Amino acid sequence: MIAWTPFLEPLNAMQSVWYLLLIPMAFGIAVVYRALREPSYNTYWRAVIIMTLQVVFGIAAIAIALGVFVQWVIPLLNQP
Amino acid sequence: MSKNTNQEQPVHVTAIILGWILPGLGHISLGQKRRGTLIMVGILFLVLCGALVGGIDAVDHNKDGLWFIAQVWCGPVVIGIDLLNQTILAPLPIAGKATYVGLSHVNEIGTLCIAMAGLMNFVVLLDLLQAKQGDDLVCTFADRKGDASMGRGAKQ
Repeated sequence: MIAWTPFLEPLNAMQSVWYLLLIPMAFGIAVVYRALREPSYNTYWRAVIIMTLQVVFGIAAIAIALGVFVQWVIPLLNQP
Repeated sequence: MSKNTNQEQPVHVTAIILGWILPGLGHISLGQKRRGTLIMVGILFLVLCGALVGGIDAVDHNKDGLWFIAQVWCGPVVIGIDLLNQTILAPLPIAGKATYVGLSHVNEIGTLCIAMAGLMNFVVLLDLLQAKQGDDLVCTFADRKGDASMGRGAKQ
């Protein structure tokens, strides 16, 4: 980590917690999308935070649903 | 009969070109400073995040051609990163590349972040097709501050 050169070398320290990188990505997308859609700046950052949470929890819910399907539902269907 | 609004709305070709050269600049050129600045911050944040996580290897038109099609909508910033990748990393021998080339999730997330930035800028460029001059984000906080300072000035 000490010998890491930003931008030249990939951030391999994040390899084990890669899924946390969804949060800054969802935030960046929300900043751009809400800038286009929001009519007022007064409600802008609130809308950005809400959209970020919606994206993060939505993807987490899809991941959990797929995990349940693969781990439990498919083995149940395969039982004789 | 309702009027055909398409004929009234001019296509802002210059703004679209500026929006590709530097994300958000198209909106700023149409007098939408707040909107343009937020777009610029958002897209450059995504590009920087992607380059920080995946390294400059996150943009590679040779090996990730399909991803590059999505990424290139960010404009010259992404082309510059690709150029750096091709001049610094590509000539290295395989053993030398080992520390610079991202593997697995880190590379995927870096590539995805910059591709999302490109696709968001594509949406921004589409928005410029129907954007109106000066239709900026309304900020009543700033207006109230302005009113208050004007009021103070009037009293003095």
